[in-house]
Amino acid sequence: MSVEQPIEHTGEPLLKLNNVSKFFGGLAAVQNLDLEVKPREIISVIGPNGAGKTTVFNLITGIYSPTSGNIVLAGRSLAGLSPDKVLRRGIARTFQNIRLFNNMTVLENVLVGEHTQLKANVLGSLFHTPNVMHEEAEARQRAVELLSFFGTELVERQEEYVINLSYAQRRRVEVARALGSIPKLLLLDEPTAGMNEAETLEAVKYVRRLRDELGLTILLIEHKLAVTMGMSDRIYVLDYGRKIAEGLPEEVRRDEKVIAAYLGKPTAADQKAAE
Amino acid sequence: MPTASMLLPTRDSRALLIKWIVGLLVPVMVFTFVWSGEAIINNVLLGLINPGSTALQGPVLIEAAIFIVVFYATVIALTGYLVAADSGRRRTIDLWIDIVVFTLVPLFLVINFGLVVGAALCAIIWPAYFFVRRRVRQARHYTPPPPLKNLEVSDAEQRAILMSRATTAGFWFAFAFAVVWLIVDLIYFFVGQLPTVLLIWVVIRTILLPIAGYFLGRLGGAVALRRTLAAKSNGSKSDGNVATNGVGRRVSKKRQLESLSTTRAREEAKDLVPNDLPLRSTGAQRFYLILIVAFVLFYPVLDPFLFGSGTAGRLAGYGDAGYYVILALGLNIVVGFAGLLDLGYVAFFAIGSYAWGIIGSTQLTNVLGQAPVNPHILSALFWPMLIVGALIAAFWGVLLGAPTLRLRGDYLAIVTLGFGEIVPIVFLELDKYSNGPNGIVGVQSPSFPGVDWSVITPVPYYYLILALIAFTIFANVRLRDSRLGRAWIAIREDEIAAASSGVNLVNTKLFAFGAGAFFSGIAGAYHAAKLGGVSPDNFSFGDSVIFLAMVVIGGIGSIPGVIVGALAVYAINQLLLAQLDSLATDPSNPLYAVHNAIVHFIPGFTFDNIRNLIFGIILVVIMIFRPEGLIPSARRRREFHAIEEDHEIEVGALDVVPGAPGFETEVRVE
Repeated sequence: MSVEQPIEHTGEPLLKLNNVSKFFGGLAAVQNLDLEVKPREIISVIGPNGAGKTTVFNLITGIYSPTSGNIVLAGRSLAGLSPDKVLRRGIARTFQNIRLFNNMTVLENVLVGEHTQLKANVLGSLFHTPNVMHEEAEARQRAVELLSFFGTELVERQEEYVINLSYAQRRRVEVARALGSIPKLLLLDEPTAGMNEAETLEAVKYVRRLRDELGLTILLIEHKLAVTMGMSDRIYVLDYGRKIAEGLPEEVRRDEKVIAAYLGKPTAADQKAAE
Repeated sequence: MPTASMLLPTRDSRALLIKWIVGLLVPVMVFTFVWSGEAIINNVLLGLINPGSTALQGPVLIEAAIFIVVFYATVIALTGYLVAADSGRRRTIDLWIDIVVFTLVPLFLVINFGLVVGAALCAIIWPAYFFVRRRVRQARHYTPPPPLKNLEVSDAEQRAILMSRATTAGFWFAFAFAVVWLIVDLIYFFVGQLPTVLLIWVVIRTILLPIAGYFLGRLGGAVALRRTLAAKSNGSKSDGNVATNGVGRRVSKKRQLESLSTTRAREEAKDLVPNDLPLRSTGAQRFYLILIVAFVLFYPVLDPFLFGSGTAGRLAGYGDAGYYVILALGLNIVVGFAGLLDLGYVAFFAIGSYAWGIIGSTQLTNVLGQAPVNPHILSALFWPMLIVGALIAAFWGVLLGAPTLRLRGDYLAIVTLGFGEIVPIVFLELDKYSNGPNGIVGVQSPSFPGVDWSVITPVPYYYLILALIAFTIFANVRLRDSRLGRAWIAIREDEIAAASSGVNLVNTKLFAFGAGAFFSGIAGAYHAAKLGGVSPDNFSFGDSVIFLAMVVIGGIGSIPGVIVGALAVYAINQLLLAQLDSLATDPSNPLYAVHNAIVHFIPGFTFDNIRNLIFGIILVVIMIFRPEGLIPSARRRREFHAIEEDHEIEVGALDVVPGAPGFETEVRVE
């Protein structure tokens, strides 16, 4: 089982965003964002709705390309790479509104996640060469092992279509699919969204285990402040596409700008209306 | 050898035996006595006893004999399997109605209207039947009867019971069949229609059949037993190993995962024995496959017996239906697997046709100003050109696919539609090579040592298209189940998630276009060779739509469905509707009266005028009754019936509550 160990985050950052901006037409979704993730860190990005958190993820994973600025993974720029190329570099992700392949089984979903790890070409697949058969058997074995990270139930239900699974189970399958590519950095977009308290606690547990047992670096978006405070090494706070605070959980908790962003700050218009 | 007491059905199984033996015996007897089964058998026997006395000789005789043996043996073994596999959750009367609709109705239609039209009518009737059955069940609050006793456990005793059931079923089925047959033959004999020589056969058969039935029933039972749930004791044993044996932990973990994977997955599997729907179980499907393969393989021999004279014409017709199957399967890769709506598929068919048309005739040598190549050499070139033509089509598939990559859904359909229009026009305008509107004539047929490819015998084309279809199905299945196939389906499900899982959208989509076009090219080369020419009229937008209709009606993404859909649409469109006018000229046909009545109001009316209207109505009706297609793939069936089935799933019961002690197990990824 996981043992709490103090982890030192030294050396070069694994992921680095330099002054990244993204504009949709005139709308600034993300502005001049600097962000660093060091190996084996758990970093949270928080902020109110519409703060641009998911846009940051889409920028990192190549779904959007930044209007300006640079994104660097382990010293190499990710600029202009398509999502599958980004994944090959070692960044896997999950989505806020779970995007599983609903009409595929649990196991098939994870096998798609292993896509980049497999080499079978058309002729090999057609004629079932020994290499392909071996690779396929290994892929299945590994997919089952990945599912077993979340206990036995997903292993038992591997042949089921994911649409039959509960919400929390689907989240776990999505993480297993992301793990299939053997990433260095895992991006989790609201891993506890829509979950009850018990399920949230469980999610927090497995996020830690992902780091402690698999040695992953994790960047996650969270909405629930309490959850973030408990598991993050550092927190970035976004509002209106700008970074308004960063630091250790305790520092962020006491930051006035963060409190204002979350609780709402009376604007000039509000004050006028109050009078 | 069986003792009498062993073969007497127990009280439990008596009803079960009657249910299945009567259910299956009736269609088999209709095939044998009403249709041509017996005629084939008698001709085979006469041929064996006295060579030269019948039309059957040499290899043809042997083929017919093999078919007879395979057919009856498979049916008897199937009976054994079904009795062992039935969980009893289907009332006898329901089952009999099902069997009548699925065997007797098609037999009747096929005998009366011919194979293809009969099958097409089935494709219309069956969805309607499903619809009515569902409505009736809803209206009557249908509840299936409880399952048979003692079916959950599958220990040695249970397996023995299943096996004895299967054996008895095989024996009694064969016995009942032999007795009926004996009576029929005796009647024929006394009427004087049965040659005396065959009486020996009658006696031998009556004795042999029950014995064969006993063993074939055992065979069916053995097939069924392979799908029973393994006894639980195995699983707990390996768990014990994990606890005690600390050294072999890694191996044990793997084994533990395997055991976890198999138990629940097999419990969930629909085709487990005993089964609520044994007719649809995987085991039964194996038997159907044997029957279908035997029928298709020996069809040229059987045809004269089944449908009388005109075999050559019919076989030629099936050769045409065959390339539609290949086209539909190819399009299924693009539309069904990868989910890319392609309305210009006919373009690649045209490319394949012209590829062999230009090479396989004097066209190319004329253009180049060379002397014509020896036709024999040219004919032999067909085989490499089949592949080259397909590769050329695939190349264009990739090339034309490239600009569409950024498009989705409706926009993609419009652009592909454009290509479907452009390519035939290019061939039309490219007079120098394609001969413009006149098309290409004198295209060589293939050559193969020892085979006569002349127009008189369409048999070689029949087997050629059979081989090509077999290859296409093989490739479809293998691709679907490969890494690439998973990527296609992932793209269909969710492009962004697929890309974020490492699927290269560009390559994967282009490959789908290429693979689809490849098979289209094969079909095109075959088409040009069989027709002996290429005509630019054959590649219209309407054809693309027909191909798409085949895929959709059969069941998008389902390989057996698409094959059935192709045959059904071909038969409805090309045979049934095309024949309406000639049928209406026959005063004995009900259509005659209909036609006269309409002409009374609309002078000059012909059915040909409203052919597309009727075709459209049929398509609409099928889509209303069965939107997922005739034989939907498991995935699609799920999509369409997700709401109904969701009620049955108790998620809570299967979930381990997070935080519960059993939640996080020792199983870990290292």
